Amino acid sequence: MSKDFSVHVEHVTRVEGHGNIILDVKNSKIEKLQWNIVEAPRFFEAMLRGQQYNELRPITSRICGICSIGHSLASLKATEDALGINITHQTATLRRLAIHAENMQSHILHIGYLVAPDLVGAGSVFSMLGKHTDTVLKIVKLHRLANEMSDLICGRTIHPIRLIVGGFSMQPTEKQLTELKKRLLEALELTKELAPIIQSVSGALPSFTRETEYIGLQSDDEYALYHGDIASTDTGRHLKYREYKEVMQEYLVPQSTAKYAKHARDSYMVGALARFNLNSKQLHPVAQEVADLFKLKAINYNPFMNTIAQLVEFTHSIQDSIYLIDSLVDQGIKQEKPIKPTKKQGRGVGIVEVPRGILVHDYTLNSQGYCTKANCIIPTNQNHANIQKDMEKLVPEIINKPPNEIELILEMLVRAYDPCISCSTHYLDVSFK
Amino acid sequence: MKQQVKTITKKDFSTFVNTLIKDGTYEVIGVQAKGKRFAFDTLSSAGDLRLDYDVTILPPKKYFLPQYEMLLKFSLQKPFEGKETLLDAPRIIIGVHPYDLIALEQTDRHYLDQQQDNFYKKRRENTLLIGVDIQSVSERSFAASMNTNTTDAGFDLLLTDIGANYAVTIGTEKGEKILKKYATVKDATSTDLNKIKTARNAVLKKYKQKVKIDKKDWSSLLVANYDHAIWEERADVCMECSSCTMVCPTCFCYDVKDDVSLNLKQGNRIRTWDGCMLKDFTKVGSGEVFRDEIKERYRHRFFRKGNYLPERYGFVACVGCGRCGIACLPDIADPCNLINELAHFNSESDTGKYFIKEDNEVLEKGIIHLPRSATIKKVTTCNELDSLFEIELDDKKPLGHKPGQFVEVSLYGYGEAPFGISTPPGNTPVFEIMVRQVGNVTKKLCSLQPGDKVGIRGPLGNGFDMKTLEGKTLLFTSGGTGMVPMRSLINHVLNPKERNKFKDIIILYGAKRPKEITFMDDVDRWKKIHDVQCELTVDKCEPSECWGGCTGLITTLFPKIQADKLDSKNTIAVVIGPPVMYKFVIKCLQTLGIPDDNIYVSLERRMKCGVAKCGHCQINGVYVCKEGPVFNYGQLKQLPEAF
Amino acid sequence: MKQKPRVAVFDFADCEGCELEIADLEEEVLDLIEIVDIVSFREVMKEHSDDYDIAIVEGSIMRPMDEKRLRSIRNHAKILIALGACATMGGVNKIRNQWMPEDVKKEVYGNADLKGNELFDVFQTKALNEVVPVDYYIYGCPIDRDEFKSVITAIALGKKPEIPRYPVCVECKKNENICQFELGSFCLGPITRAGCKAICPTHNSSCEGCRGLIKKADTECVKEVLDRYKLSYEDIRRRCTMYNYGRKECSYDE
Repeated sequence: MSKDFSVHVEHVTRVEGHGNIILDVKNSKIEKLQWNIVEAPRFFEAMLRGQQYNELRPITSRICGICSIGHSLASLKATEDALGINITHQTATLRRLAIHAENMQSHILHIGYLVAPDLVGAGSVFSMLGKHTDTVLKIVKLHRLANEMSDLICGRTIHPIRLIVGGFSMQPTEKQLTELKKRLLEALELTKELAPIIQSVSGALPSFTRETEYIGLQSDDEYALYHGDIASTDTGRHLKYREYKEVMQEYLVPQSTAKYAKHARDSYMVGALARFNLNSKQLHPVAQEVADLFKLKAINYNPFMNTIAQLVEFTHSIQDSIYLIDSLVDQGIKQEKPIKPTKKQGRGVGIVEVPRGILVHDYTLNSQGYCTKANCIIPTNQNHANIQKDMEKLVPEIINKPPNEIELILEMLVRAYDPCISCSTHYLDVSFK
Repeated sequence: MKQQVKTITKKDFSTFVNTLIKDGTYEVIGVQAKGKRFAFDTLSSAGDLRLDYDVTILPPKKYFLPQYEMLLKFSLQKPFEGKETLLDAPRIIIGVHPYDLIALEQTDRHYLDQQQDNFYKKRRENTLLIGVDIQSVSERSFAASMNTNTTDAGFDLLLTDIGANYAVTIGTEKGEKILKKYATVKDATSTDLNKIKTARNAVLKKYKQKVKIDKKDWSSLLVANYDHAIWEERADVCMECSSCTMVCPTCFCYDVKDDVSLNLKQGNRIRTWDGCMLKDFTKVGSGEVFRDEIKERYRHRFFRKGNYLPERYGFVACVGCGRCGIACLPDIADPCNLINELAHFNSESDTGKYFIKEDNEVLEKGIIHLPRSATIKKVTTCNELDSLFEIELDDKKPLGHKPGQFVEVSLYGYGEAPFGISTPPGNTPVFEIMVRQVGNVTKKLCSLQPGDKVGIRGPLGNGFDMKTLEGKTLLFTSGGTGMVPMRSLINHVLNPKERNKFKDIIILYGAKRPKEITFMDDVDRWKKIHDVQCELTVDKCEPSECWGGCTGLITTLFPKIQADKLDSKNTIAVVIGPPVMYKFVIKCLQTLGIPDDNIYVSLERRMKCGVAKCGHCQINGVYVCKEGPVFNYGQLKQLPEAF
Repeated sequence: MKQKPRVAVFDFADCEGCELEIADLEEEVLDLIEIVDIVSFREVMKEHSDDYDIAIVEGSIMRPMDEKRLRSIRNHAKILIALGACATMGGVNKIRNQWMPEDVKKEVYGNADLKGNELFDVFQTKALNEVVPVDYYIYGCPIDRDEFKSVITAIALGKKPEIPRYPVCVECKKNENICQFELGSFCLGPITRAGCKAICPTHNSSCEGCRGLIKKADTECVKEVLDRYKLSYEDIRRRCTMYNYGRKECSYDE
């Protein structure tokens, strides 16, 4: 039977930022299928123009409220790379704790508030109360702990005050870290309770696969989040981090204020699933158990499993944080002053993994310490092409379902990527006159 | 009486402190390093003590008048329930310098006066002070030239570093007991006593700052230069940040706010430090700011320290610690600098000019912060702006007020507001107030119905001393809402039991427009009384308002008084009205030959605590809630900030 | 039974950090939904309703299509609350107002053909009150959660929220922080609105004025302090324009 219908979603709900889904079907043929970004461009490159090197972090953290720690760290790494600053081991450890806290906060928010309602047929986490109050409270408790952790390390979770060029403006005390470890251990137990509950409703996640290239950081020493080499499931490790553009090739499309990216194929995916596919062997034991509970194994090509990969990473972050705190307490935590620049000018690239994927900040600083050139590659930018391609394969597979179901599945697909759209409307290479 | 002095080795002193910490009976607080400065904080080990410090960022006042202090917990669900939250746990503070000890004693005079602040009191009672003689002197300290670098009083124990040992001067029995219980000490020899003197003298040369004028002469120097250009010059660069008052050991003004929890079920009444340098410090509900210009606030701070408080208590409220010198970014806050500058100018003056000494009875004993529960009996709309509330105290005891006093009405979750009492004194728990909707409290109050509960603190203020009115002709002049408190006085005087104490009575009343007249019933009744002259006017009215009476400002009523029949020397005039009115009415009174000392006014300021603690209502050196709101014009006219 | 106020949350050009601060009330979100009905909050809810009493809006206005959407929100709501620096003052979004939109677009997009594309039709960044009247302001980048709670409870109780009109120094001194000036930094605290509990100086970082300057940076007192610390206005100009670019007056109440 010939089908004629449209699915138009303006401003998809339960995602960060504004994006539209457009699907027009005529005579059972797809006439138009687009994932459009309509977020207002904020011109961050213009904001960085002429700023001093120690003023870049406060501005770039405002690219995104949810990954403000990630943007701050990428920014600091780029600045430190440009000015020849080698941070201390203690700083690196504390920064790893900060990234763990951000990953935990963002992932549990995504799993619990943004995706879970779809799994139980609710409109929002608010309407989940009543039937699922207990579970919601568990999720809230874990979210709160993650925030308190980044409040402790960074001074404030959203727009982290303590993160500065060369180190920290203030360090936590041993007493505070010991108290945090106690709470993390409790959180681990709570996560072990939560995982099976989510597993029990994960059947609502569509089983859809599309062979995809996955890109993320990779390191010999750990499940890479703060530091590593760029790696691809197709082409392996790329050791020249400054030539990141060889891997992340961006281009403009007219229907979107954000760019698309490609490498070995038409598109690639970044984020928790990508990291899992690259580094699953380096997960801590309880995280591995959680993956096993969901039968999640590398390489998994189902984008809907990104949410599950996030739960696995959440568990891993708790365990790794406990291990990092132990190492800090063993060595004794010192109130250190930040390391000063050893060079006056230069170009620096900082790459970190934020909850949604691999993030690059690239700065050029002149001899007075002002920024003359800036570029950012945002994770969600790199995912837009993949979302488009996923939709193009998915829609024909579900075209016979009723339109409202197709709408829900397409929304769930977008949500699975956990896009951060306000970040992603950031753009080209910019040179300032 | 001579104080006992012991000595203790430094090692044994550490043991003493560590034993106290371990014992757990007391919270042990000591001066410690904080970055490159010092601060008082909970002590975990004697090794953290830095008795050689120069000055702490904040003075120990934070332990007695905390930055944020919960006064009451209240419930929004039960009609009127509030519970005080007092500090019970005993504490020891180690390392207080003499100037800070002196500052605490000064604060005692203010907070432990006849209307004792029981929060402050509890904290003082529960705290043991171990002072220490100064070893290092802060860059900006001038305590030596203020004679606050050493002290014989205000401590339970006082330590002096005399080399291998500390000398411990015993100040109180409490101090003696704790020393006996936890420490190993020897009696001090005469050599030891000499070492104390030597140690104290050795520090004197470390002072970089010295104030040239002895503090007993600050008062006259300041008053002589009240109008000097120096205030404006310096205030020009003032940031209005009030850092100076925050770090000052002798500043103790505060603000009170109600904090409600998100579920709207309960809340806390919180007291927090306020500063007279802030723009809104003197702002009232109607929006008027009584000390608006920066130069006025800047000058006020120095006068408070050097003239107002000395007149009130006999001490200069500055102990030369130098904290404000460090804290002030444009460096204009340091009293030492300022006084040394003023020293070049004239210094002859009447130091009592800006203060009014009064012998007040204690008007409210007992708990000054906790409101009593009361019920609204009746609400009558008087005009489009004002409503008359009849309120009854739930404990059925009489309010016990004098005409001219006021109450603070509390609505938990909204705050407190002052209202003049509009009914005459009597043996009844019922009284009336007039409410005009201007802010949060009054807006909520106007939405309440008979049966709803409010909190009452009061009666507050001095009220009229009826004895001074006896045997005299009384001339009452009210403008606008001035009639609200005036009505209490008039109806008291007209009470048949009181009437024959007074001679003739003249009542003049002016309102802006006919619809703003309050108490028309009373006015009609007064007009009918044979030995009362009652005249009423409105500033203006529309033809549609059908006003058959006089039009014109209140001053136009004065010709109606038969001046030749008036015994002006034996007439008492009472004036209450908007600030702009006083100047003109007082002129009329003077024209009638009434001496200034026979004129009484009632003034409005930001009355917050009502018990002369929070500082918001000050007019020069006077607390309107204590020396007022009723003032004798003869005394008041000297106060530049009065009108 | 009295109906709970209906609340809707919207965002424009922002980082959504201020909305995240609302979610970060954690368990207290349950208290919040007890006293108000959240009928639209795109970031966390699929449900949406155009029937709301209170609109909470984060973000700045960049394009005609955004203006249109804001005006529609203003028409639906009895009370409009501007949430965060971008909405109350323009925030970091206004830094680019130092240059003309055409120049900025050219620099960022080069020669890409953007004519007629309404997505890119940007004008100088505007705060909300440059487009519609705003009833309440919650300042900060990001907002302070306690201040958010006190504004919501004030509105629920029918009273005017009390936002401080005094500088950050008051709260910084109450925290017993060592002054940033003593540590060699230039801090905007003395001329910035308090209410954040001086969070940045408390973590040893100087204030950047994200809650709004309450004194203009070219007043006598600021010049005096700059002189004392041997700095020029140019040295602090960038700091002063980070959140406060182009504010005509530093008024206490917007």
